[in-house]
Amino acid sequence: MASMKEIKQRIENVSSTENIIRAMDLVASTKLHRLRERLEGVRPIYRELKRVAAEIGREEKVKANVFYAERNVRSSLYIVITADQGFSGAYNANIASKALEHMEGKKEKILAVGAKGLEYFTQKKKNIIRKLIDLPDAHVYYGTESLAGWVQDLFLSEQVDEVFVAYTRFHNVLSYEPCVEKLLPVPTNGEPGGFSSRKYEPDLETFIENVIFLYLHMCLFAAFTEAHTSEQAARMVSMDAAQKNAEEMIEKLIHMYNRKRQAAITQELSEIIGGSNIINKGDPDDKEYR
Amino acid sequence: MAQEQMNQAQDKKIELVITTPRGVKFMEKADMVIMRCVDGDLGVLPGHAPVSAALGDGIFRIINDGVEQKLAVFGGIAEIEGNRVNVFSTIAQRPEEIDRERAEADRRLAEATMQEISETQQIRKLQVLLRHALIRIEVSSHLEEAEYVKHGEHANHEEKNSEEAASQE
Repeated sequence: MASMKEIKQRIENVSSTENIIRAMDLVASTKLHRLRERLEGVRPIYRELKRVAAEIGREEKVKANVFYAERNVRSSLYIVITADQGFSGAYNANIASKALEHMEGKKEKILAVGAKGLEYFTQKKKNIIRKLIDLPDAHVYYGTESLAGWVQDLFLSEQVDEVFVAYTRFHNVLSYEPCVEKLLPVPTNGEPGGFSSRKYEPDLETFIENVIFLYLHMCLFAAFTEAHTSEQAARMVSMDAAQKNAEEMIEKLIHMYNRKRQAAITQELSEIIGGSNIINKGDPDDKEYR
Repeated sequence: MAQEQMNQAQDKKIELVITTPRGVKFMEKADMVIMRCVDGDLGVLPGHAPVSAALGDGIFRIINDGVEQKLAVFGGIAEIEGNRVNVFSTIAQRPEEIDRERAEADRRLAEATMQEISETQQIRKLQVLLRHALIRIEVSSHLEEAEYVKHGEHANHEEKNSEEAASQE
């Protein structure tokens, strides 16, 4: 059994940890609030651009276009979005293992976003061609824009024949699922519709070039935003749990401390009483007073 | 048929939806919209044929009930079908959202930098000119010097020769 001093020290330790946890919880919930707003903003344009890109793919003429034609796959680019720090439950492990599972049987080239993913894939000895860590939230928009350019160049120069993005999709604070999405060649989801009366300004090729860049940028931006939102949500939930645990622990320790304290007082009292009894018994004048 | 189309065009207005990464920015009815495409302006009236257009940087004009609104739209695409116009762009700003001071500052910066660049280019040209001129001057002065030296040497030579001749004598 620990001494009273030790228990007191423990209580202090746990409560200072609890303070840190509470601060992290607060930070996560503020960030989550902001990111959710951003996510609500980006989702419509992401969904619509995906639809537009898929619809163009159904035109007969587009089949041979470089962004739509299925190539002989030699290597695949994976953009895996993880967090830079832990403290978020199974969030990082889930997305990394999902991506790993998807890579099976493919010659992968990985762009690791976030320190955790970099660590994971380095450990698995995977082919990491680029890393992106400590990207502040405010730089995500322009960061993904230049990333879209990079991806497009890599794809056009045939260094990669497929592009996937692995991220965690946010549903609500308690539920998010890891998913792997194909960006290039653009998935068309459906049979080619053949002839359509739609016209393109100034011409189809220019239009596709415009759409693809916007499509890549928005897909990446949406994926980053979804991932960051899920990360903050996961962190908030695990910090809540940690806070609860810390509170319980403090309560238990206080009980233990109080019991110890009472035991010590009782012991001291009985020692005093016992001592005084002995002294009283031994006093010869005692009888006279009684 | 033509009459029907005309009627349709008169009854209906364009439903314009502009979507940016910050959400659906603009959702309105309009009589006519004029947008800047990559290679020129494109005006759209209700009942337009289905067209998809790549947009350039420019002024997006919306005319409704004789009132014209202007937006700043940079790039993106537009999907036109019947009475629906869907615009997807990274930036679409209303006049009241534009930071005029910042735009002015940007303009000044850009102009000043361009001026500077053209100045440095001019300076570079002048430097080349100066360098060429200096080289020419130096080379030509060498010629003078060489001529002078030549003359001098010649004179010396003659002197020497005369001295030698004298000693021989």
